[in-house]
Amino acid sequence: MPSARGFYLENERAVLGMATVAFVLVVWEGLTRGWWLWRIEPIFLSAPTAIARTAVQLFATGEIWADLGVSGLEFLLGFVTAVVAGIALGLAAGWHRQTAFALGPFFSALNATPRVALLPLIIMWVGIGIWSKVLVVFLGAVVPVYLNAVAGVRTADPRLLTVARSFGSSTPRVFWAVVLPGAVPFLLTGLRLGVGRAMVGIVVGELYAATAGVGFMITVAGATFQTDKVFVGVILIALAGGLMIESLTRIERRVETWRVKVGAAA
Amino acid sequence: MSEEAWRAAEGASRLRTFYAKHDALLIGIGTVLVFLLGWETAARSGVVNPLFTSAPTRIVRAGYRLWAEGDLWRHIQVSGTEFLAGYLMAIGVAIPLGLAVGWYKRLYFCLAPFIDALNAVPRVALLPLIVIWFGIGIWSKIVVVFLGAVIPLLINTFSGVKITEVRFLKVARSFGASELRIFWTVVLPGTVPFIFTGLKYAAGRALLGVVVGELYAATAGIGYLITVAGSSFQTDTVFVGILSITIAGVLSVELLNRLERRFDRWRPDARSRP
Repeated sequence: MPSARGFYLENERAVLGMATVAFVLVVWEGLTRGWWLWRIEPIFLSAPTAIARTAVQLFATGEIWADLGVSGLEFLLGFVTAVVAGIALGLAAGWHRQTAFALGPFFSALNATPRVALLPLIIMWVGIGIWSKVLVVFLGAVVPVYLNAVAGVRTADPRLLTVARSFGSSTPRVFWAVVLPGAVPFLLTGLRLGVGRAMVGIVVGELYAATAGVGFMITVAGATFQTDKVFVGVILIALAGGLMIESLTRIERRVETWRVKVGAAA
Repeated sequence: MSEEAWRAAEGASRLRTFYAKHDALLIGIGTVLVFLLGWETAARSGVVNPLFTSAPTRIVRAGYRLWAEGDLWRHIQVSGTEFLAGYLMAIGVAIPLGLAVGWYKRLYFCLAPFIDALNAVPRVALLPLIVIWFGIGIWSKIVVVFLGAVIPLLINTFSGVKITEVRFLKVARSFGASELRIFWTVVLPGTVPFIFTGLKYAAGRALLGVVVGELYAATAGIGYLITVAGSSFQTDTVFVGILSITIAGVLSVELLNRLERRFDRWRPDARSRP
């Protein structure tokens, strides 16, 4: 039978991680219940059990689904258009120097500005409905997608390009058969960064001005001191972002293995 | 060929060489100029309503007025204080903690769940909580800037320690260097490029924190200026605010790039860096 010490050494990371998390949760719970020397009002701090109860209740009554649906739709519309536009423009700019020179100043300026600073303008232009969020998500995600697509085309292996050209490949063929596959990891990196920016866009857009959505739920809950609900919203956002980034990382790994195999065979 | 035609041809070719040499700059400036002119014309001719879109000359005029009246400078000072205080606090916490977490495995195991969780949340989503805890004054913005900046810096410092060249460690150990000495002379210098990458990310996040914090709830600052101007349809002022933020972003990254080059000067060769 393995000793307790052996078990600990084998699973040190999990054991220590869970122990600290449990410790923090107990301290937190205790603070609002007055287990320790002083007590903090639950409306300021909430407590793990209260958050769990609120989460269950929000899902059981189905209240949360409307907000999740709205945020999801905003994300989807903004992110998909950003991916399409960012990749198309990025590939074009990576391939044609002149396109890059023309687009460069605009994307550099956008990149240097947190896009959420444009929210007051966007609201003025398209109102506080879903489209203002779609637009801010689009602007947030399009910049990293574009920049990475440009970098992906630019870093195409010059040896491969030379080989393809010397065997008489046409320019479109070089682009489709050599440049584009080489750019895929960069495109995926761009998507991953884009997801993060898109999440910020959704949250801030809805905090700032909205009528529905998870960010809106957080704002309303915060303004009415429903701290439990705020935490539920924050956790949901973290889970959604984490899930998307995790799935992109998996796709990336898949693509990566395919690439390595081809490279090794060549 | 007549002399005149020859000269013209030479002039044209000189123009072409000039273009070929500076095409990046020329095309860039050209498109920006076309864009600005189109914007100005559209606003002046009434194709679009300048109340909603403003126009380049109106923005310049508004910027000049705000600057002359001292309003702009006051808001910049508030935002700048929030940015600097939060950013410096993040540096003070993230670099030592990142080094410690990278050096002591067990500490990393303990803190990893919290670092990962905070990394997954857009920290600006915590604003409603932060405002409950710290109010709508300067401190809520400092905290959100701090939270935004501390995570990328911490993660980068940590990976800098983790990616220390194993050969260097082995050499140092076999020559009997103490752990402390290894830390100071091998590990720490190796983390510098990572720390700078982290500092650059952190600057972006910090700026985001200032802007969003002030959009959400504030009484002064550039983000506040933008919100107030936006809700009263002073589009020119909104653009002045956005441009100030853009300039601040460009300046901070440029400053960090320079610092980085300075710190990197001793490096013998330009190794490829992540």
